[in-house]
Amino acid sequence: MSEQTTNPVGKSVPRVDAYDKVTGAAAFTDDLQFGPGLLFGRAVRSPYPHALIKRLDVGPALELRGVKAVVTGADTPGFIGLYLKDRHIFCTDRVRYVGDPVAGVVAASEEIAEEAARRVVVEYEELPAVLDPLQAIQPDAPLLHPDLGSYDVVPFIFPQPGTNISNVFRVRKGDVEGAWAQCDAVVADTYRVPHIQHVPIEPHVAIARWDLSGEVTLWSSTQSPFAQRDLIAHTLGISQGDMRVIGNYIGGGFGSKAGVSMEALAVAMARQVPGRPVKVRMTREEEFYCCFVRQGLVARVKIGGTKEGRILALQVEYYWDAGAYTEYGVNITRAAGYSSTGPYNIPNVKTDSYCLYTNHPVGGPMRGFGMPEIHWSIEQSVDQLAEALAIDPVAFRQRNCVQGGDVIVTGMTMHPHGLSECIERVAQRIDWGKKEVPSAPHKRRGKGVAACWKAPAMPPNPGSEAWVRFNEDATVSVGVGGQELGQGAFTVAAQVAAEALGIPYEWVRIANPVDTKYSPYEWQTVASRITWSMGNAVKAAAEDARRQILEIVARYWDQDPGDLDIRGGEVVSSKSEQSLSLRNLVVYGLPLPDDQGWIGGPIIGRGKFMPTYVTGLDPETGQGARAVVHYTTGAQAAEVEVDLETGRVELLCIAAAYDVGKAINPEQVHAQLEGGVVQGASSALLEALTFQDGRPVNASFVDYRIMTAVDAPQRILTDFVEVPQDDGPWGARGVGEHPMIATAPAIANAIYDALGIRFNDLPLTAEKIYLALQGA
Amino acid sequence: MANHAITVTVNGVKERVDVPSNMTLLEMLRQRLALTGAKNGCGAGECGACTVLLDGEPVNACMVLAAEVDGAAVVTVEGLAQDGQLSAVQQAFVEEGGVQCGFCTPGMLISAHALLQRNPRPTEDEIREALVGNLCRCTGYTRIVRAVQKAAQGGVE
Amino acid sequence: MLARPGLVSFDYVRARTPGEVVQLLAEHGADARLMMGGTDLLVRIRDGAVRPRLVVDLKHLPGMRDILYQQQAGLTVGAAVTMNQLARHPAVVAHYPLLAQAANSVASYPLRNRATIGGNLCNASPCADTAPPSYVLAGRIVVHGSAGEQEVAIADFFRGPGQTVLQPGQFVTAIRFPPSPAAASGRYLKLGRNKAGDLAIVSVAVLGFPDASAPSGYRFRIALGAVAPVVLRVPAAEEWLAHHPPGAETFARAADLAAAAASPIDDVRASADYRRAMVRTLTRRGLNAVADTIAAPTGSA
Repeated sequence: MSEQTTNPVGKSVPRVDAYDKVTGAAAFTDDLQFGPGLLFGRAVRSPYPHALIKRLDVGPALELRGVKAVVTGADTPGFIGLYLKDRHIFCTDRVRYVGDPVAGVVAASEEIAEEAARRVVVEYEELPAVLDPLQAIQPDAPLLHPDLGSYDVVPFIFPQPGTNISNVFRVRKGDVEGAWAQCDAVVADTYRVPHIQHVPIEPHVAIARWDLSGEVTLWSSTQSPFAQRDLIAHTLGISQGDMRVIGNYIGGGFGSKAGVSMEALAVAMARQVPGRPVKVRMTREEEFYCCFVRQGLVARVKIGGTKEGRILALQVEYYWDAGAYTEYGVNITRAAGYSSTGPYNIPNVKTDSYCLYTNHPVGGPMRGFGMPEIHWSIEQSVDQLAEALAIDPVAFRQRNCVQGGDVIVTGMTMHPHGLSECIERVAQRIDWGKKEVPSAPHKRRGKGVAACWKAPAMPPNPGSEAWVRFNEDATVSVGVGGQELGQGAFTVAAQVAAEALGIPYEWVRIANPVDTKYSPYEWQTVASRITWSMGNAVKAAAEDARRQILEIVARYWDQDPGDLDIRGGEVVSSKSEQSLSLRNLVVYGLPLPDDQGWIGGPIIGRGKFMPTYVTGLDPETGQGARAVVHYTTGAQAAEVEVDLETGRVELLCIAAAYDVGKAINPEQVHAQLEGGVVQGASSALLEALTFQDGRPVNASFVDYRIMTAVDAPQRILTDFVEVPQDDGPWGARGVGEHPMIATAPAIANAIYDALGIRFNDLPLTAEKIYLALQGA
Repeated sequence: MANHAITVTVNGVKERVDVPSNMTLLEMLRQRLALTGAKNGCGAGECGACTVLLDGEPVNACMVLAAEVDGAAVVTVEGLAQDGQLSAVQQAFVEEGGVQCGFCTPGMLISAHALLQRNPRPTEDEIREALVGNLCRCTGYTRIVRAVQKAAQGGVE
Repeated sequence: MLARPGLVSFDYVRARTPGEVVQLLAEHGADARLMMGGTDLLVRIRDGAVRPRLVVDLKHLPGMRDILYQQQAGLTVGAAVTMNQLARHPAVVAHYPLLAQAANSVASYPLRNRATIGGNLCNASPCADTAPPSYVLAGRIVVHGSAGEQEVAIADFFRGPGQTVLQPGQFVTAIRFPPSPAAASGRYLKLGRNKAGDLAIVSVAVLGFPDASAPSGYRFRIALGAVAPVVLRVPAAEEWLAHHPPGAETFARAADLAAAAASPIDDVRASADYRRAMVRTLTRRGLNAVADTIAAPTGSA
């Protein structure tokens, strides 16, 4: 405790987890040691994108020495899913994607489990597959979920039984048809976004154990210990009180470890071998398509504006290639719908966002939750319209970007925010408007800009809970249920607690790992909601503890609590100028005068936060009072150089600026922006999960390439502005996902500036660009 | 299948381990020696999360058979700190924010450490090239590169 | 089929003498697999492409990890010499820089500590980085078998993707390179999806040197990787270069001839059209770069 950082909010204190992570001490789920009793599970997976299971014979697997149990769909008849329960843990009668689990084998070693899994005999009857969302929506397309009408679903999702549409979100605002005639220019185009994968460096892993007492413990690399507890317990008929999920450090999530994907397999397998822990670990190859992938998208956009530079009308159709099960993806469709204008004030809007079942891997949440995909089309369309109207793209965005007080696409009134300033800053950072000289005659340079917005996409009422508990020496344990995925959640929680308590940052310990048996509730670590929501809960808990302390000391000193404060770990009185160390009193309380007894006792503060003001939206028009809690806005600008002889794009500079409300830890904000920019750039230039007849053909690091240290842009210039959020801790709102949203369209707009060629489909590979240059 | 009784020095400690032929060095470290710093990110020599020093040079521990390292010296991330003091590169990762989720960090540190051993004053391009085999999905590499630069400067003093 | 979570069971033997290897191969036949760095074999075992009962480690055989250079005899590289060894060896850097460049372009630094030149060539991948340089440097493969040692010219070594002329029981102990032609300059250019660290989707090795017997005064050798079942030399382009004065136009024409000679395929890494076009780009760039360095009088032989 040599360093003493008081009032740490707004300061770039070092991460609470850095020391453990550089020494190898930080325990990730696969690092936990279970001793020789540990068993291993492997899944038997469908080789077909769509087929009926005609026969399943597990006999040959059971014959292998070391095999302990086999589990099939017959053992797990219920449905599971976050928003729409459309998925079995193991398939019962039908498989819907290559990789769909049909059985699980538990054995003494991973090697035996794998060998046994290969011996399970499954006879399939192949069915015609649906491999394109535009095919899926046709009336005569094979129906992937005939029972769609009977699935449990939350009230704000609208499946269309008898079709492959598992959700539809519509906006009808103003008069789009009438508005086209008033436009001086209208542009229309179709954009495609391929499936990509999150590629956390840590693959999914889960260990489950059913105790003979009935308690079920799941250790998993998860963003969502509580959601996993709830969903798995519900499906397997366990009381939430008997289901315990322990989440250690996570080696990157990016959404892939939200909700439930492979973790339920481990729990179902463990049920067969009571008392024994069973570990299920995804190989890197499985990681690419057996958990979640980012959904594919076909976007049709028509946008029009006036020569004065106003966007008048927007019509969009989003066809989401959401995969075999859309239990989570249905809400991406919804988020895409209610944010379909991008961060622009457009009076006339018609949006249809369809969530479509296909025989592709299961689409799930990924950093940005639909926003990188839709902004790919929006931000290029805005550039196209600006060009058609002969207006500078930066000026055009400034003229149309949504302002505080505007009534946005869903009828909600926008809160104050700093998008205009973000656009201004990124434009300045790359010397917008200045033509740069290429580094060689066979190269071309260009600059592009893109803006974005994103709201936390979640149910209206996701809760956060926290506690703050003092130790004898006045150090503090902070209980949180949010997860540390690398984004710095624990560090922020510690800063918030220290600030609100009035103690140095170095006195705070985070009570990790998150364990649903002991840790406070947190819905999920998703949606860039943790700094804001969990931050509010921690702040409330700290304030509760602080209040308790001040009341005790006020009594002790016979003063008014209002005259007391805690500063630097001491209670001080502005009235009497007395001070008192927190040591001991926070556990043992204080003696009353003349040995007349004691007051106080162990201090534990509790806090919670849940938004209470989000309203429903009209299913026909998408209109309502408040669709979301808030939006985080921002912008990026890219400067690129394209090699005409190879098509290779060099990212010379990417500038990013976001309105974070309040940067609790400025350096961590910069770090989030840098990481998001590179993940966005990687998706822009390199990434696509490629399928042949529904089978992934590049599901390994050999052929699914992500950016390395040499590919990442060397100049990433990050900025933030701080227009406070009215209900955020010190005004903070989240920014975890946003840096990935604007990157790809900013790069595409820069490439257009360099080459005069517009690319509608991601990724912007060197090959695609070169071949387009030959055709141009 | 035969087991091999091997002797290997890990982080300065001589270990005798019985390993089956198909056990990788990574599996041996994690399962037999409970040294879980090196991570399994792909099992195919592509991600670098399992990077360790083998006789002073970085290798992907998932691509080495344990039976091969009989008589060799291995250093994992757990062996970088000496006497409770972080190494220069570890300290720089903490100070410069080279750590986010932490899963690539052990391998990244080993590669960076090895780079500074063979090239105490690397250029930025040399640093980036040396880290090509260590994938990071969180940081965008910026702060990792900066941390290695800082460690390099510190090492000269 | 998905890759396994780990390696299937096999026995591992560290071979001490070539005779022991011959004997093990005779005993176990196709159930035995040879390993040096393991960077290909272990991946293939995990993928299920091979399922050996015995893995024979060759890298401890005498001489397998040695690099020998003599001005008269040239260079002998033990088959188990790693890419990093090759890329850093003073004689290789000085006299066969093309080979050093290619070795240094393989994957990542940690992998280059394991990957070997012998493994790279014996796997006979069309995109093997050391193969095109071995062609233009006239490498010879030293093959050991029950009948003793023989040498095979690199051009005769490959039969197709994953296939070589090696017979059951034979293995490679070294690769020999004759002295480079006087004042030669070489360049290995490679295009991957990433800027570095990727497999080649196209690679080109160019070697150029002054030769009074050539009408142009120079000879060039060109070898293309990843654009045919095996590495391709481009005689048409080489002839053209021998007969036309070096310069942008000549090089562009030679690059066209190289592109025409390529017979690439479409795969998940790149299309045939793009590969062919990149043969043109890389060949032209390689020729220009080589011509620049030959012309510069600083280069030594």
